[in-house]
Order: sequence, then C-alpha cells, then structure tokens
Amino acid sequence: MDSISKKYIEDSRTQVTIIASVCAATLLSAVIAMGLGSSSTLDSISTIKIMFGLESGSDLQSAIIWELRFPRVLMAIIGGAALATAGALMQGCLGNPLVSPLTLGVASGAALGAAFAIVLGISIIPNLAIVANAFLFSLVVVGIIIQLGNMRSVSAESYILVGIAITFISGAIVSTFTYFATDAQLSQLTHWSFGSLSRPSLSNVVWISGAIICLMPSAMKWAWDLNTLSLGGDDFAISSGVDPSSTRRNILVLSALMTSIVIAFTGLIGFVGLAAPHMSRLVIGNDYRKLIPCSAVFGSFLMLFADTVGRTIFAPVIIPVGIMLAIIGGPFFMYLLLQNRGVS
Amino acid sequence: MTSLLKIEGLEFSWGSNQVLKDINLDVGRNEFVAILGVNGAGKSTFLKCINRILAPAKGTVEISGRNIADMSLMDLSKATSYVPQSVRTSFSMSVFDVVMLGRRPHISWRISDDDHERVSETIRFLGLEDFAFRKFDRLSGGERQRVVIAKAVAQDPMLFLLDEPTSDLDLRNQVSIMKKIRHIVSDVESGKSAIVAIHDINMAARFADRVVLLDGGSIKADGTPSEVLTEANIADVFGVSCDVIPEEYGLSSSLQVLVKDEIEK
Repeated sequence: MDSISKKYIEDSRTQVTIIASVCAATLLSAVIAMGLGSSSTLDSISTIKIMFGLESGSDLQSAIIWELRFPRVLMAIIGGAALATAGALMQGCLGNPLVSPLTLGVASGAALGAAFAIVLGISIIPNLAIVANAFLFSLVVVGIIIQLGNMRSVSAESYILVGIAITFISGAIVSTFTYFATDAQLSQLTHWSFGSLSRPSLSNVVWISGAIICLMPSAMKWAWDLNTLSLGGDDFAISSGVDPSSTRRNILVLSALMTSIVIAFTGLIGFVGLAAPHMSRLVIGNDYRKLIPCSAVFGSFLMLFADTVGRTIFAPVIIPVGIMLAIIGGPFFMYLLLQNRGVS
Repeated sequence: MTSLLKIEGLEFSWGSNQVLKDINLDVGRNEFVAILGVNGAGKSTFLKCINRILAPAKGTVEISGRNIADMSLMDLSKATSYVPQSVRTSFSMSVFDVVMLGRRPHISWRISDDDHERVSETIRFLGLEDFAFRKFDRLSGGERQRVVIAKAVAQDPMLFLLDEPTSDLDLRNQVSIMKKIRHIVSDVESGKSAIVAIHDINMAARFADRVVLLDGGSIKADGTPSEVLTEANIADVFGVSCDVIPEEYGLSSSLQVLVKDEIEK
C-alpha cells in the first residue's frame, strides 16, 4: 500500500484507540460513581461487590444502588451521549460552531410545556404532567423544523433565526407565567430549569436509553454527508452528491428528537451539547465518522463527572448537573480552546 | 463527435435579472472547453446550472443522454464534478480527508483499499504530498484551490466543471494545473471532458480545444481559439484593443493575445 494511505490508516487507528480509551475511562468512572454517595450504609468497595454479585447487600443497600444510583449514572451516560451527539450533528449541518442542541428552540419549547404543567396545571397525561408537556411542546418545535425544512431554499441561517425567535417567544410566555405564579410554582419551575439527573426513574431511564440507542445509528448514517456540508457548504455538498436541504432537515429533526427525549425528563442541560463536540474536535478532528462516537463518549464522561462531583462535593446537598457542568466544564472548555487556538 | 453534454435553450434568472439567455451547447468526449466573458457574464451561473446547484428557469441539460433533472444527485456527482471559485470552511479537515470526499459518490460508508489508493494517487498527481496531512484551513489560497481540484479529480467524473481554477495560483502552478487538466482530457480511453470558466485568455488559447465567449448571458461566439479569439470579438466583449499573434508551443500551435488599452465607450 502507498505510504500516504498507510499514514492515513495509521492515524485513523490512533483516533479509534483514543475513542476506545475515553469509552473505557467513562465505564470505569461509572463504576466508581456508583460507589460514591452520601449514604452511611454503603462504602465504595461494598457497592462494587454488591453490583458484581460478590456480596449480598441489604434491601436498603440494593435499593440505593439499583433504584437511586444506577438510573442516575445510566442517565448521565445516555443523556450526555445524546446531547453531545445532537450538538455535533447540529453544528455540522448548520456549519456553525456556536450551535448547541438548545439553539433551535427545542429546550425553550420544553420549558414552555413544563410551565403549562406547573403553573396552569394543564397536561395531557396528568400523572406525568411535566415530562409529557415538555416532550409534547418540544415535538411542536420539531414540527416547525420539519415545516421549515419543506420550504424551498431554506438556509442554515434561517433555522438558527427561527430557533432564536422560538426561544424569545417561549421565554416571553414563560416569563408571563412566572409573573403570575405562586412561590411554590415559581420554585418548581426554577428547579426544573436547572436540569437534574435525579428526576427520571429506573423505568424512565430504560425507556430513554432504548430510544437513544435506536436513534444513534441514524446519526452515524449521516457522517459522510455532514463531512461535505461542514467542510464546504451547500455548493460543495451538491457537487459531492449530497442534497443539503433534505439532509439538513433530517439531521435537525434527529438531533431535536434526541434532545427532546432527554430534556423532557431531566430539565434544561445545555452546556454538554456545545462543549463535548468541540473537545472531541480538538482531540480527533472534524471527520464525522469519528467525531460522532467521540462526542458521544466525551458527553457521557463530562455529564457523569459533573453529576458525580455535584452530588458528592457538598453531600448531602446535591448541586444539579446543569449547574455543575457549566461551573466545571466552562473553565476547562475555555482552557482547551485557548491552549489549542493555534492548532485547529 | 460523441456528445457528452447537450444543453438546449438554457435560461436562468435571479429575480427579474436574466443571467443566462437561450444557451445551446454540445460538448463531446475528450474536449477541453474554455468559457470566457466579463465579470457578471454568467460563467459561474452556467456551470452551476450544469451541476444542479442552480435550477434553470427553462431548457434542458443532458449528460450522456440523461436529463440531469431526472438523475439523483449521487448519480450526477458520478458524472460531473464542480470546482467552485473558493471554498469557505466551517470545520476544517486534513487535505487527505478533503480529497477523500471526492470518493463520496462511490462509497456507501466504508472506505475501500481502492479508495485509499485513488486518493493517494490523486494527491501525488497534483503534487500535494508535502501537505497531505495538514489542515485545509491552514493552507494558502493557491494550495486550497489545488486541493479542491484534487477532490474533483478523485471523484472520477466524466465531465469536470471548473470555475476559475487558476485564480489563486502562481504562474508555475497555473501552467501545471492546466497541463494536468489537459492531460486528463486528452486520455481517449477515459473520454473525459472539462468546461473551464477562466479569465486568462492566453491560458484558454493555449490549453483549450474550444472557446465559448459569453456576453450578457448569451453565447457570442463558439469555436476553436483562433476562430473565437479575434481582435474584433475581444474588443466587442471585453472592451479592450489587442493584437492577436500566432504562437508555437512545442509541436502545437496556438495564439497569444497582447492587450493594448481599454476602448473608450
């Protein structure tokens, strides 16, 4: 084989090894995170022994491990992967590094749905009021994206501008609700907006995981098309056989769905969808065949790390993951960007 | 002449501004066609209409007997490859990765050994070995232009559509790129052709088999360089006076246009 091809293949193998290493580090961190918490009846070693069946724990210990910590850790992994993947997809198809899963107004739609449930008590599924409303309203935003995508000659900028408009409109309505809300409603709405992994139950997490795992292969399917779109824009994509309009619409619908599924259960978690793709770009470059899995594992790791710190640093008080992500991830993200400003 | 590209009654407008008017053109296999015209004459628009980047208001474009409107974009990109005047990138990739994007129409997901080899060959053919693994956005304008041409070559189409492919290149690379396009087009077995929008009349005269002169969105003249590049045509279209001098390049003969001055309107 030619020396240029050989070097390319060797570089690709190194990148795959990096992704596998971050994946292994995330799984190891998950096991460690399972052993950390404020319970005085469980230390880390006992937790790991009970988890792997080397020790039979009490009912309380089993409940803490499998009903409290496991859903939380699994939600961190799945939620982080989904939001980071959605962010990477959206940045690529809109050709804009500032885009995150919240840009299209999906999160604002979800917040509006939650506000309807919390302040007005209006919901289609009363016993799942906030989740059902948040999901339904974010689906309305997905519907708007589809309608927009079906229009002729809709540009990447149009999607972003419509997303900003949706965010302003939803924000104004939510602000009106908060103006008339009681203290208890206001507190609940504010708490929802923080974004937390404690809300989804084990059955919720299993459902979310199933949905995200089903959607992930679709994300990989678009990798080549995203490479052409993100590198050279629409004309470059068309000359490579890619229809930018339908590709952009399909990718945005996919990423909006992934975002909706997660934030309907967790509340607003935004930073991971912006930071994890950029961290991945700094490590393995912009080839979407590798960037999508790399962003997913970086997102999982980031979310897991932030949540574990958030629930242990001031235990028994738990700082919501949405806050921790920005506090820990923000400076780290800026450091990485500044360190690499000369090396794109 | 076996027709590779057949254009009939092509028209295109930006709103009320009609850019292309009733364009009719046949391009055979192994033809190097240079499109000349002033800024805004419709050269880029014309190339984009052949590649479905723009949808014509009227007329038909057929490649190898197939109407491009009925072809999938993937099939069309196997038949044509387009090199834009410039590529502005949002997220950069290595030169090898950019050239590999030319293989996109030929691969579903996995890159084969053959794809690797073709990309490596193309990189060597265009002399990009020294920066094959540098980031695209870290290259000079001329280097980028050569990389995008390499991507088009790796795409292995029947028809190249090149929009000012030498505009950012130094003199040596201008000649080198034109010779390489000429080399590809001259291969009778492959039967490939190229349509090149270009401002350099002398470069067009030296390398093209045929020159199409666009004026105000219509074809003013179409023929061999010596038929089209006359002092009268150049004065009429470009508004400059000139001398057209026969020139020899090795065994081939061509002509050279010496521009004297602009003509007062």
